[in-house]
Amino acid sequence: MVAVSSEAPPADGDEARGEGPVGDASTDPVDRPERDARPPALAVVLSLVAAGVASLAALLAAPLGGVLLGGATVALAAGSLRRSHRLLSWAAGIGVVGLAVAGYRGGGVEALLVGGVALALAWDVADHGLSVGEQVGRGARTRRNVAVHAGATLLAGALSVGVVYGVYRAAAGSRPVAALALLLFGAVVLASALR
Amino acid sequence: MSEDDGAATTDESATTEGVSTTDEPATTERRALREAETGRWDGVRGAALALVGVGVVTRRPGLVLLGAVGVGYALYAGVGEAPAATLDVTRTVSDVTPEPGDEVTVAVRARNAGDAPLADLRLVDGVPPGLAVVDGPARVATALRPGASVAFEYVVRASRGEHEWEALTAVTRTPSGSRERTTEIDPAEPARVVCTPELAAGGDLPLRGLTTRYHGRMPTDVGGAGVEFHATREYRRGDPLKRVDWNRRARTGELATVELRKERAATVVLLIDARESAYAAAEPEGRTAVEAGVGAAGQAFRALLDGGDRVGIAALGPVDCWLAPGAGTAHAAEGRETLATDPAVAPTPSGDRFYRSRWLRRFRRRLPADAQVLFFTPLVDDSAASLARRIDAHGHLVTVLSPDVTASGTTGERLAAFERRERLRELRSAGIRAVEWDGESFPVAVARATARWSP
Repeated sequence: MVAVSSEAPPADGDEARGEGPVGDASTDPVDRPERDARPPALAVVLSLVAAGVASLAALLAAPLGGVLLGGATVALAAGSLRRSHRLLSWAAGIGVVGLAVAGYRGGGVEALLVGGVALALAWDVADHGLSVGEQVGRGARTRRNVAVHAGATLLAGALSVGVVYGVYRAAAGSRPVAALALLLFGAVVLASALR
Repeated sequence: MSEDDGAATTDESATTEGVSTTDEPATTERRALREAETGRWDGVRGAALALVGVGVVTRRPGLVLLGAVGVGYALYAGVGEAPAATLDVTRTVSDVTPEPGDEVTVAVRARNAGDAPLADLRLVDGVPPGLAVVDGPARVATALRPGASVAFEYVVRASRGEHEWEALTAVTRTPSGSRERTTEIDPAEPARVVCTPELAAGGDLPLRGLTTRYHGRMPTDVGGAGVEFHATREYRRGDPLKRVDWNRRARTGELATVELRKERAATVVLLIDARESAYAAAEPEGRTAVEAGVGAAGQAFRALLDGGDRVGIAALGPVDCWLAPGAGTAHAAEGRETLATDPAVAPTPSGDRFYRSRWLRRFRRRLPADAQVLFFTPLVDDSAASLARRIDAHGHLVTVLSPDVTASGTTGERLAAFERRERLRELRSAGIRAVEWDGESFPVAVARATARWSP
């Protein structure tokens, strides 16, 4: 999930004196007074709620993982505030490490899966909010867009968890981990063929 | 709009297509640009595989499952294409001919005419560069099912000129946001606002002594018929009796004739500096020197026409603009139109290159021999000052009218202001009249400056 978005926002038409397209919001000091390029409030709130859920799940799995995910939550908030995709990517990276630590310390499978989906949702909504903020701004109507995006991501996560957990329960409940990994390898090959 | 047309615009390559059907008069033109990767989910596969690897090595099934969920997200990011925004757009402007400063409400309505849902759609309206959005961004982000529509409104403040809306930019993304596509959409009826300010007559504008053979209001140094005393001379047979100096006849017994100043009309060309450098203002959102110059030129135009002079308009800039000197009501209307909507003096610079010597050659060829020039320039570079001197040297007397757009905040700004004052001083010492105004109204500045001038 360590990725820096490289989208170029469309040229500003409603600029009183044409300054050309507004670049990355964090590196663009001259912002127009009538446009607020901060991410939409709904995106920030959703992202922080999801990050909170992820932290709680990781805390239940293993305290150290919970601490790391708490750090990731703070980094996500800072990334939204500073409008930095890079910071958000770092936050996601810290979160993944936190989940790995929680898993290594023997956290429950269910808590780990919930934490994983919540972390993905938190990062995705925050990053989406940044790009919507850059291209459209906080002043415009963006609720529906953010809600649909968050819903789609949550649905994708829920489907993945459903399939993975179902397979785990049904087929690999008592089998060695290597069998699970091989199953997964098959899934990855299938995914690559689809792409 | 038929289904086939909607499908055609979702083509992979860039397509330009005007969709027209007989049953629907509105045709929306769409240009779908190339799809681009946003790269947002780039690291997810690596993270997933790392989790699986750690899980296998440490024999933790939870980590392997977590990695599997990561693979699920990688799949989610991989599927789907960013759809072209198959939108029917209408744009309505509340007032097509507003006065300057009026607030114009613009309503945009976009309907998803295609048969694919647009899960992530961002619309940015192409507001003309000369209009400032005062209420609400001209943008919206939403998601549209087939047949659903989104409407948004914003308010722009009208400014002088003719403003045409540009294409609406629609950015669509896949649900995961991994790919995006930009589509430029031209609504069926292009929105346009024409804002033509009334020209207020400014005060009396003093001209320099270069006149035509037409009767007018400019006193000349030539004796003849008029109202102001010029000289007396010896009586010649045929002089009108009312011009005989009877006081002198009574005092000395000699017959003498009074000569009055002949009054003539002048030909004036209002030259407005509209080079890119003249689009300078004292503060970022302030009134540019071009706006100030055009406003003052409008006042001068009315005042001079009312005084019976012949007035023309020219712009010093990359876009050609020339209204030959003339008089009369039709000419007045034409001048108003030129000052309001000519692209050469548009509220924002055109961006073309300006060739000074070519411009000067063409300007001199067009300029009538007896024309004088009122040059509206902020004098922010040496080029304007030297141009004023050159035109003056060619016998077209120049009066420089300079709006002050310099500021005094930083050292650089103070230096620019100082350089401008030096240019004004040099022009004055070269015998060119110069008026500068700043804040106060143009007629007041002219009246103040005129008090110093010899007739």
